[in-house]
Amino acid sequence: MYEIAEKALKASMRFGANEAEVYIMESQKTSVNIKKNLIEGAKENIAAGIGIRAIVNGAVGFASTNVMSLIDDTAKSAVSSAMAQEDDPDWKALPSNQKYPSVSGIMDKEIKDMQLDECISHAVEMIGGASTTPDIIVTSGSFSRSHGKRLIMNTNGVEVLEEGTGVSGFADVITSSGETSTAYDFAISRNNDIDFGAIGRNAAELAKRSQGTISIEPCRTEVIMHPFAISDLIENAFMPSIDADNVQKGRSSLTGKIGEAIANERLSIYDSGLLEGGIGTGIADEEGVASQHTTIINKGTFESYLYDTYTAGKDDVKSTGNASRNSYLSTPSVGSRNFVLDYPQSDLIADTDNGIYVNTVIGAHTANGISGDFSVEARNAFTIKNGSLGRPIKSLMISGNIFEILRNINGSGNDVRNVGGTITSSVRVADMSVVG
Amino acid sequence: MHSVDFFDTRIIEGTSTAIVLDNGRVEQISVNSTKGAAVRALKGGSWGFTSADGDFDIEKAIRAASELAVGMDERSPQEKVIVKEIATPRVQNPPKVTKNPLDISLEEKVQNLKEIGKHADMNSISSTSAVYRESSYRMLYSDSTGVEGEYEVVRTGFAISAVASRNGIYQAGRESRFGVNGYEIFDKFNANELAEDAARNAIKLLDAKPAKGGNMPVILDPELAGVFAHEAVGHASEADLILEGSSVLENRLGENIASPLITIIDDPTLHEYGHFPFDDEGSQSEKTTIIENGTLKSYLHSRETAAKLGGKPGHCRAQGYSHPVVRMSNTYIENGNSRFEEMLEEIGNGIYLSGSRGGQVNTGEGVFQFNAEKGYLIENGELTTLLRDVSLSGKILEILNNVNMVGNDLTMNSGRCGKEGQLVPVTDGSPHLMISRAMVGGA
Repeated sequence: MYEIAEKALKASMRFGANEAEVYIMESQKTSVNIKKNLIEGAKENIAAGIGIRAIVNGAVGFASTNVMSLIDDTAKSAVSSAMAQEDDPDWKALPSNQKYPSVSGIMDKEIKDMQLDECISHAVEMIGGASTTPDIIVTSGSFSRSHGKRLIMNTNGVEVLEEGTGVSGFADVITSSGETSTAYDFAISRNNDIDFGAIGRNAAELAKRSQGTISIEPCRTEVIMHPFAISDLIENAFMPSIDADNVQKGRSSLTGKIGEAIANERLSIYDSGLLEGGIGTGIADEEGVASQHTTIINKGTFESYLYDTYTAGKDDVKSTGNASRNSYLSTPSVGSRNFVLDYPQSDLIADTDNGIYVNTVIGAHTANGISGDFSVEARNAFTIKNGSLGRPIKSLMISGNIFEILRNINGSGNDVRNVGGTITSSVRVADMSVVG
Repeated sequence: MHSVDFFDTRIIEGTSTAIVLDNGRVEQISVNSTKGAAVRALKGGSWGFTSADGDFDIEKAIRAASELAVGMDERSPQEKVIVKEIATPRVQNPPKVTKNPLDISLEEKVQNLKEIGKHADMNSISSTSAVYRESSYRMLYSDSTGVEGEYEVVRTGFAISAVASRNGIYQAGRESRFGVNGYEIFDKFNANELAEDAARNAIKLLDAKPAKGGNMPVILDPELAGVFAHEAVGHASEADLILEGSSVLENRLGENIASPLITIIDDPTLHEYGHFPFDDEGSQSEKTTIIENGTLKSYLHSRETAAKLGGKPGHCRAQGYSHPVVRMSNTYIENGNSRFEEMLEEIGNGIYLSGSRGGQVNTGEGVFQFNAEKGYLIENGELTTLLRDVSLSGKILEILNNVNMVGNDLTMNSGRCGKEGQLVPVTDGSPHLMISRAMVGGA
């Protein structure tokens, strides 16, 4: 890896770059798929590729390939695409060599070395978990494990090599008798600590409990959102506004709001690349900036946007270590690491006289990422009466605004879940508009 | 050599370029050159699949997939899977590229995009973005039954978005056109005018009112109706979902499931963005009628689902080196004979929903939710107040039955469709539809 990286950097400089960066990743992933209660097959994906950023007068060119014999051509493409652009006075520099924190819990040898037999048995555990509830079919599901390495090297001395593992499982289920109802559950971890039977069991029990629906009248009421539902809304309707890139481009309604109270004073939100065993944990972000803890909302007060190196340079602040990439095929852009919602916890349903409980929502990606407005269909929703869950609700639309949710949050459960990169318990929001 | 019942390989090689313009400045140019392979192997009822990036040894990849399939078959044997035999596909009437994007300099492309971006920049517009994408790929298919095929495809297109803002209100307008064509897409569509349309739409939405939700009669514009055809009906007709028991269209072939005015087609032979000469299992592409005059005629099939349920394969696609899945191509509702004006007159009072900001569907329960880009109140047959953040939700079969007028103005829209984590290019289309009763959601 180091040899290829050095070759790519040298070639970029030779073709005329002022600075250059190379990102090399290698990963190996095994998955076992479930279709209609049966194991359908196994997949192995071996991915490896290289992305080169070449900077010429502040203009950033990018090229990528997965054919290692094309390193020179790729470096040349990166430089020519930088040259096809005008100079960018906002560009400061690629990150420099720096001191990196130590992190833990992101590399599990058991997952790295896991054999097909164990992968199959985890998939079978999910089906087994679902079968403890009668008349349930796991329509689709999957177990997967992965192991990967990435190297980030640039001409300013950054050299970060990191290795990690991941494991996940999901199950979609449907009822096979009585009213048709569906549900899903999933879990993801960096370590081999997932209870796969529970994934199947939870999904199956939820689908079963969601039978026998009633309709409700449109109203404004307290709504408790399961971690799946609230994290979906947060990711789609809130995160775009704290992305410094959107702020700088006039696409955020949080522009100029630093220091203002924007949320309930008991709510704090932070982002951290250091969390033990977090999905987004690592010593550095995806351009080699040391990971850190960033407070976004401190007891209701808005404190910080999230930055990568370029956007930080534009605002004359330090990067918050939030450069992220989907793969070697793309340049880094601002993204969250581990995004944590923190509100004092209680036994939420028991504390609620009257309201609605929502497990998941569909359509959160259609939210307006600037205004924060959303209108989504709630799934597996239930009435709450006198501190306990009541009847399932047939069909329910929830409309609202994510910034109103932040202000109107008035409770949080003790059921913290790691939903991909967002870590939250269920939350209760006052005065939401629901249409049944 | 390989102790499996079936295997196939896809080798894909090509280049792609993307230019992203933000507020008139080039934000990113990326050039990508990749090669890779995807191999499937079947033993009994177990599939093994491998994908590999870069310079690979195809024999080694076939062995690895075979080992997975054999390993699965030994450890958890399943009911035998039959892969439908097919004829060697022919590449008929391929789309003609008159301006190969690879012959045009990066500088010229950047200049052109900047000009387009300028047209979206108007008073009240706080930011604009414009994106250009091109890709040229060669696909080689072969399977263990001797089927072989090869084609090249060039895809080019652009997207423009403009954000208008006033007093803390932000509204966005978007336009995009993508197709199986070369740089001549800029001759086919006036990108400058489309950029102005996007900007004007965003500005108009600043004055839009929030919609009041409820059940009411609606008219869907061709874009939103096309999304309905794709999301709600197309996905529910995918045979893999039928087989796994998560579609409301299961066991409904031959039944009347929609208003007799409704005919829905999926046609990969059309030279639209979802075009392919043969699918990612080597099956010849062919026009498929999903619903004909209200009757459910056919599901969309892979070679496996076609063998199991009876039907024709030809709708199995993959993104890059991923495993192929049953997918749509160019999906549309056929023209009826009503004019938009007649619909307005007929509806009297209701809501006109226009454009799409995406949506989701639960094919198992048969429910969907789409957000329109905008809407208008219809009062006494006239379009009156402009509405924002308006959505449509309901039950697929109810909506299909509640269609009581179909327009004569079929329009196609290109986009990308996601399923099992894979995105593939598709086109949706429809004429205007009038629906007697649907659930409208608002703010």
